[in-house]
Amino acid sequence: MTALLEVSDLSKAYPVGRRGLFRRRTMQALAGVSLSIAPGEVLGLVGESGSGKSTIGKAVLRLIEPETGSIRFDGRDLRALSTEELRAARKDMQIIFQDPYASLDPRKTVRAALAEALDTHGLHTGQRRTPRLNELVQMVGLSPQALDRRPHEFSGGQRQRIGIARALAVEPRFIVADEAVSALDVSIQAQILNLLADLRARTGISILFISHDLSVVRFISDRVMVLYLGRVMELGPADRIHFAPRHPYTAALVSAEPSLAPRQARIRLTGEIPSPMNPPSGCVFRTRCPYALPECAQAVPALRPAGEGQLTACIRDDILS
Amino acid sequence: MSLSLPKPMRLPSLILLALVMTLVFGPMIMSADPISISVKDRMALPSWSHWLGQDEFGRDRLARVLYGGRVSLTVAFLASVIACVVGTLFGLIGAYFRGPFEFVTMRLSDVVLCFPPILLALLVVTLFGPGVTTLVAVLSVLYFPAFARIAFSEALRVAALDFVEAARALGAAPRRIVLRTVLPNILGPISVQFSLTAAASITIESGLSFLGLGVVPPAPSWGQMIRGARAFMNQDPTGILVPCAALTLTIWSINFFCDRLRDTLDPKHGESAGKDEIAKARADAAAAAAGPAQILDADVVAQVKDLRLALPRPEGPLALIDGVTLTLRQNECTALVGESGSGKSLTSLALMGLLPSAIRPAGGRILIHRKTGGTVDLATLGERETEDLRGNDVAMIFQEPMTSLNPIHRIGAQMIEAIRAHKAISAEEARARAVELLDLVGIPEAGRRIDSYPHELSGGMRQRVMIAMALSGEPKLMIADEPTTALDVTIQAEIVELLQRLRQEYAAGMSLLFISHNLGIVAEIADQIAVMYAGEVVEQGPAAEVLATPHHPYTRALLDSMPSAHEDLHSSRGDRLAAIAGTPARPEARPSGCAFRDRCPQARPCCAESRPELYPTGTRAARCFFAPGADQPQEREAGA
Amino acid sequence: MTSYVLRRLTTALVMLWVVGTIVFSVLLIVPGDPAELLLTTGGADASTDAVENLRKKMGLDRPVAEQYVSFLADTARFDFGDSLIDGTPISETIALRLPRTLELIAVSMVVALALAIPAGTYAGLNAGKRFDRAASAVNALFTSIPGFVSGTLFIYLFAQVLRILPAGGYVAFAQDPWMHVQMLILPTVTVALHLMTIIFRMTRASVLEMRAHDWVRTGIAKGLRRRQVVRRHILRNALGPVITVVGLQLGILLGSTVLVEFVYNWPGLSGFLVSSVQQRDYPSVRAVILTVAAIFIAINFLVEVAYSLLDPRIRLT
Ligand SMILES: Nc1ncnc2c1ncn2[C@@H]1O[C@H](COP(=O)(O)OP(=O)(O)OP(=O)(O)O)[C@@H](O)[C@H]1O
Ligand code: SF4
Ligand code: SF4
Ligand SMILES: [Mg+2]
Repeated sequence: MTALLEVSDLSKAYPVGRRGLFRRRTMQALAGVSLSIAPGEVLGLVGESGSGKSTIGKAVLRLIEPETGSIRFDGRDLRALSTEELRAARKDMQIIFQDPYASLDPRKTVRAALAEALDTHGLHTGQRRTPRLNELVQMVGLSPQALDRRPHEFSGGQRQRIGIARALAVEPRFIVADEAVSALDVSIQAQILNLLADLRARTGISILFISHDLSVVRFISDRVMVLYLGRVMELGPADRIHFAPRHPYTAALVSAEPSLAPRQARIRLTGEIPSPMNPPSGCVFRTRCPYALPECAQAVPALRPAGEGQLTACIRDDILS
Repeated sequence: MSLSLPKPMRLPSLILLALVMTLVFGPMIMSADPISISVKDRMALPSWSHWLGQDEFGRDRLARVLYGGRVSLTVAFLASVIACVVGTLFGLIGAYFRGPFEFVTMRLSDVVLCFPPILLALLVVTLFGPGVTTLVAVLSVLYFPAFARIAFSEALRVAALDFVEAARALGAAPRRIVLRTVLPNILGPISVQFSLTAAASITIESGLSFLGLGVVPPAPSWGQMIRGARAFMNQDPTGILVPCAALTLTIWSINFFCDRLRDTLDPKHGESAGKDEIAKARADAAAAAAGPAQILDADVVAQVKDLRLALPRPEGPLALIDGVTLTLRQNECTALVGESGSGKSLTSLALMGLLPSAIRPAGGRILIHRKTGGTVDLATLGERETEDLRGNDVAMIFQEPMTSLNPIHRIGAQMIEAIRAHKAISAEEARARAVELLDLVGIPEAGRRIDSYPHELSGGMRQRVMIAMALSGEPKLMIADEPTTALDVTIQAEIVELLQRLRQEYAAGMSLLFISHNLGIVAEIADQIAVMYAGEVVEQGPAAEVLATPHHPYTRALLDSMPSAHEDLHSSRGDRLAAIAGTPARPEARPSGCAFRDRCPQARPCCAESRPELYPTGTRAARCFFAPGADQPQEREAGA
Repeated sequence: MTSYVLRRLTTALVMLWVVGTIVFSVLLIVPGDPAELLLTTGGADASTDAVENLRKKMGLDRPVAEQYVSFLADTARFDFGDSLIDGTPISETIALRLPRTLELIAVSMVVALALAIPAGTYAGLNAGKRFDRAASAVNALFTSIPGFVSGTLFIYLFAQVLRILPAGGYVAFAQDPWMHVQMLILPTVTVALHLMTIIFRMTRASVLEMRAHDWVRTGIAKGLRRRQVVRRHILRNALGPVITVVGLQLGILLGSTVLVEFVYNWPGLSGFLVSSVQQRDYPSVRAVILTVAAIFIAINFLVEVAYSLLDPRIRLT
């Protein structure tokens, strides 16, 4: 099976604070991240705030420009495309946002927002426009009456559905869902998760599902990637990552997850997340890792196979087995 | 047309419209000529042919006022339009291309803003001589930077919003995004600036004309009329009063329009008071009459009895909290859970006497067992007594550690003031105590960190500071409103652990009211649980029992919809979460009968008829006709 | 902190230089010959001799670069050249008149601050209540009255009808202190009224904004007295935006007192400026404007430093 999206060695640094006359401080948001997503696959991306999840999501869509790395979508190098070609290519890749209140233009009716999406790529013009719009809102569980209302007339969950409809309007093959259910209440979150799962089953769309909630990611994703300070810590099948993590950071995340079941001993992390402006040498996790050894400071650990189908960026093999 | 205007805009629009009409069309239907001189009628009093009399040259004053206004308005309008178009363009270009464009836009406006407006105008007048064209040119140059700035910062703000990102992700062309998505969303602030500019332009134009450096005579202008009449104000006060009144009225109506426009576009700007609680606490006479406060059990720290809170509206009060009863015991953690808007925060704020001023108590009592012994009813306390109680008997931690500390004071100062609010000790002693508390909540190097400003600490650290501050009064009840929601999972687990540890080791016996929407955290920390829905408690009881065997369909549905409670399910295997249909009932659209009825999978026709009560069974209770304690077994049978 | 002040200081100096350059180059970018332009009044052409004369006087016959350098050097020494009208050194005139203008502004500012800040705070804390509505309505009215209008009306009322105050003029304090004060009253009230409307509005808005912040709720929850919460968690925070506006207004005032001074015959910078403009004495106008802009920039610099003392976060940017 060839990958739909193939990203390798993605890096991105943001300038921070004032730009001094001589020095220009930067914050390394991503460092050498590689990933691939197969057609119809859901790849989950978890990590704490500031770990670079959204940066990946936007960089693979080229909504922000990464410093290095290649992004191949369906075999084409996205970074080599001209502005015009890129705009045409956007038809195949869409994004759903976190904040249901900021993601819709308050001045546009649902119809206008969806029509704009179709117009941009000249889809379903003329006669076929209305049936398509009706179909779209129904696909996300709203009634056609919703078309002529404005965002403020909808609840958060309904807005999120509209955001999904807008993304689906151009029939993309790939969607980035950036914390798409994080701002929602539990009951609504479940509705949206089910909706995404159904869409995937029905249309075979690929999804990059970004969330800080491990159990949500476990439920929806086929594979999960764990990020820390802009670097990949672990990658593997969702259930394996959740039930048998091989990286100390993943293990700590899983054990910190609040759960109804009685909790196993929590892995305590010491200290705080270091500043991305000067990350620790070697393994970036070492300042908080309960298993850190002096060697951990020497070189950045490469991803290596571990457990069943996992890849971990930890040099130690004698823990967590 | 005016019908589609928002109500507050109607009056100012009408006034402005009338004014503009008068000045534009007035001169057309006037017969008098503003410049024909009639020396024998100098300063003549009002008459039939000259309604406002004649000026120092015997010219018709009404005609001069109307024509002068027309000139002023034309100058102001032209200048504002030019400044607006040019400035907005500059701002948008700066915001869109950033880099050098941004630099030029911003610096240009910085420089222009360095010159007091009138002076800049005078500089130009020196070079080109007075006149209407000069005026328009000067005023546009003066005011375009303001537009550029506003357009720039607003465009940046809007461009950062997700819907603009979404338009980019769709592949819309940049020009289209700027014109169709960004521009419409910044028109509000720009139109406010437009009216401000129009008013300011009139002021400057008339000022220059008053100095004899604006509109050139014989063309009439208000400034000039005042200048001319000044010399004769003793004999002929009308001469100054008329143009002064015209000028003031014009500027006022534009300002009035502008104020209302601003309030309409940005409700935050106007009288949005009522979201906060700085209003004075006042003892409620009715509550005092209800009799002495009493708590029977010795281990009860606080009790909320049948609390009702409402939002007054013209069409009648809107019930937000509808009969909530809670008993908070010593050494117990009670969790208040529910979805957004279910009334968790309001209930807890009521316990602190911290209700937003827009919200009115509509019944019920809040009894608190004081540290000094004795029970008080919160509603009967005066301002002083309430202040004594807060932080001392009841303390609170809030959801947003980022905004809950004052950014301009060091955390030490904020802690010391909390400590000294309830204990008469010296600043040094208070500081030592603060260091001790910071150390206790796990802040490394507390002695040094105490001198940090909040922005120098991470979110988790700030929340620890908040906890330390809450502990400083050694309260018997601590309320934590979603204290971990804004934090990362690992930090969240640490804070929950810290709260647990403090309760067990440090503040033994302290009661904790823990508010959360996350049942997982609740399962870890809570002894008792109260589930809220639409302003009511729908189920309560010991946490472990409620979570294991929920009696209320809502509690059950909440548990079912949590992915973390179903680790065996996976979407790729075709599993779906048991989601509850619909959305939580909003206070203004609460179903009759049972509030959960429109989403409840077990609903029966009888659920619409009357409101279920909280039916008790043993230590538990549920607000459902088919709960174990309810007396409708046959119906329940039928529903099963 | 030091680095912040140094950065601001650099910015201020750069601004000063830019402003000087602009004022200098305005003459170069106007279409046609500046000397001719300045001498043309009402379409009448000036004689070639007069134009030549003026060119020489203003140094316009020298190469631009040379003009620019000597302009900057002279300006840095506060040497603005001589007036085209009567040949007196401009800097002397400014040194004589500027203090009178500053006196008027300073006294008005003190009066305005003393009244508007408490009123604005009270209105902000009690937004929507009776005092606030009344004060805001009065404020809206006064905002709409330009200074020269209120000045003219005050003269009519207090000097002509009631005859309790002089209609204008100026006597040095050393000469007749009592008269000096009497003559100061009306101009001060006029300027202060205008300032008050702005400070009141800003204080009220700032208090209204600050009181809705979460930390105010924290303060109340700690059990602080209401007075303490208002002082430490609302007013202290509201002060930053207010002093920024006050600083900006001080600068703008330097300009708009021109009108008030003119109304009351107060012999500050204004009389000089207005007559210079009327007689198109460009060097004098340029000197006044440069002086005012320099004061403006200096005030802004001080305001920024003061703000950074009030709010530690500012120093980061
Ligand atoms: N200041 C206010 N003015 C008007 N309505 C308010 C105000 N504060 C809260 N409400 C309304 O009261 C109801 C209960 O609000 P509350 O904040 O207690 O909910 P909550 O359970 O804490 O929700 P969340 O989980 O979002 O914090 C909601 O419908 C809310 O819209
Ligand atoms: S490499 Fe070392 S520091 Fe990094 S996770 Fe593994 S054990 Fe911990
Ligand atoms: S009373 Fe009826 S509608 Fe309400 S929860 Fe029970 S079964 Fe459902
Ligand atoms: Mg809340």
